[in-house]
Amino acid sequence: MWLDQVIGTIEKNPVIGYASHSAPATEPTAIAALVLLAHGKQESAKRASDFLINTQSSDGSVGVRQNEPDPQWPTSLAVLAWHAFDKLAYATNIEQGVNWMLQAKGKAMEQTDDMGHNTQLVGWSWAEGTHSWIEPTAFHVLALKTVGRGDHPRTREAITLLLDRQLPTGGCNYGNTSVLGQMLRPHIQPTGIALLALAGEQDQGNRIAKSVAWLRKALSKETTRASLAWGLLGLAAHRITLPSATQWLESAAQQVQSHDNSPHKLALLALAAAGPRLLTPDS
Amino acid sequence: MSKPFSTVPPARISRRALLAGAGLVAAGFVGTRTVRQWMKQRASVFVAKHQTYGGPLVQTIRDGLIASGIDAANLKGKKVLLKPNMVEPSREAPHMTTHPAIILAASEVFRGWRASVTVGEAPGHVRDTDMALEESGVREALDSAKLPFADLNYQEVAWVENRGHASKLAGFWFPRAVAEADMVVSLPKMKTHHWVGVTAAMKNLYGVIPGIKYGWPKNVLHHNGIPETVFDINASLPRTIAIVDGIDCMEGDGPIMGTKKTMGLVVIGTNPAAVDATVCRLMDLDPAQVPYLQLAGGRLGPIDDRLISQQGEKWQPLASPFQILDKPHLQRLRKNKGVLVT
Repeated sequence: MWLDQVIGTIEKNPVIGYASHSAPATEPTAIAALVLLAHGKQESAKRASDFLINTQSSDGSVGVRQNEPDPQWPTSLAVLAWHAFDKLAYATNIEQGVNWMLQAKGKAMEQTDDMGHNTQLVGWSWAEGTHSWIEPTAFHVLALKTVGRGDHPRTREAITLLLDRQLPTGGCNYGNTSVLGQMLRPHIQPTGIALLALAGEQDQGNRIAKSVAWLRKALSKETTRASLAWGLLGLAAHRITLPSATQWLESAAQQVQSHDNSPHKLALLALAAAGPRLLTPDS
Repeated sequence: MSKPFSTVPPARISRRALLAGAGLVAAGFVGTRTVRQWMKQRASVFVAKHQTYGGPLVQTIRDGLIASGIDAANLKGKKVLLKPNMVEPSREAPHMTTHPAIILAASEVFRGWRASVTVGEAPGHVRDTDMALEESGVREALDSAKLPFADLNYQEVAWVENRGHASKLAGFWFPRAVAEADMVVSLPKMKTHHWVGVTAAMKNLYGVIPGIKYGWPKNVLHHNGIPETVFDINASLPRTIAIVDGIDCMEGDGPIMGTKKTMGLVVIGTNPAAVDATVCRLMDLDPAQVPYLQLAGGRLGPIDDRLISQQGEKWQPLASPFQILDKPHLQRLRKNKGVLVT
């Protein structure tokens, strides 16, 4: 019931922002495109995909909002949406996006005892000229795997980075593991997104299994909306479905509708209900 | 009138004076006594002791603001943005984030003065802002008082010139709620900080910077120098005052992983640099050794104790050493007897 309602709303207006009545933004619209495709709403999905094209710069990157070409971290999400919609029709946009992604690099930093992770590994950053972090790196890995570039050296290095950033007891912080000798706390959203990108990967250190176990335990009916969506998607990519997931998603959607009515959060919940197949074709 | 929300940096606007509080004076939010003080590069800071989250915080904050020179009559109809600290909230560490009682009390004071109050934050480490609101207990408080919340990480942005020029950044993207506010009230937690020593009113304003443009963490700022960008953001937000939650504080490995230290204090002032200098003294740390206060001293406000007029309680009998990490870059903070912890 809630899902039909949400999909109906997104179908009417597939170009969405983070908040209700806010300017359309790339990330929520890419998520909307994936939701619509997952639920067979091709016509509306095309409107969302076309919005993303209008946001693409001549260098292939896609900015955070239309007329805001910087930073370019949503490029990966746009590529995912285009590929899922029609990889042939959007072949040029996808190719330009992938070319931009492969030349964009997070900034390596000198390795010191202060930071627990390998600061030399290169993934993707939120903004140009800054360090690589979990979520943008995972989004880029998902996009590159989806377009068949999972074996590219950049993708492989990013996988190594994501494994390196898993906390020893499972789960991920936003990107650090320990700072000045102090282990940080794991969070659900980055863990779920990282696990999506790590689906199908081999891990001799058993880190993926630990993070899956942590995430499974961390998710509950109290989990907030975006975290719940990404957490369930991350588990589903590892073939784990929680028995209460449907109930939690419905409850979360009702909370959004009664609070801020964020189209982005509703789209994320609908995507979680659809499962990860458009994000991780091989899972 | 709303500022234009453009994606293209506009032509340079006239540079405003960096004299502390110039924006507040121009806006008429402070009385003439305070104007005279600022002209001498002085500021007032109010300290209240024996405070609890269940106590009369509304009265404390109202008294403190008036003692600091706020002209309440001029706030009628003005947009006031309350900016608590919710960097990476966890129910396991409530001493990390501004207590909801402080937010509610401050909102009641400003609403009582007929201002239009919004609470806004751009959590620095977590993209799921709902998680930050719920882990910190702030969501419940906002709902109970029907306070609107602005998610500063994702709002539309306006370009504002960097008026500090300590870093290389030409300007900042400020979210709509910040750009349109008549006054930003920094509501920090009194904490140690493992990179810059102390975080209070000035450093808390990192949290007006949108993650969608600067990342999670706001790495663009880090790569341009934490002290420099703290200074620059504060210099570019002239209409800023501070109410510090110094009741349950954090020492050791702050601002996230430190331990609770109860001080029972609320510190208030119309000049965040002066407030932070006083906070340092209350923590038994040397403000002149905090890099962003070194930059701010004499430019954004006074940090010399002789130039700060103490209102309410004197800080000297209330000072209590905060533990700081035993790291080389923090050693200089221990001018007096600050305690090291490993």
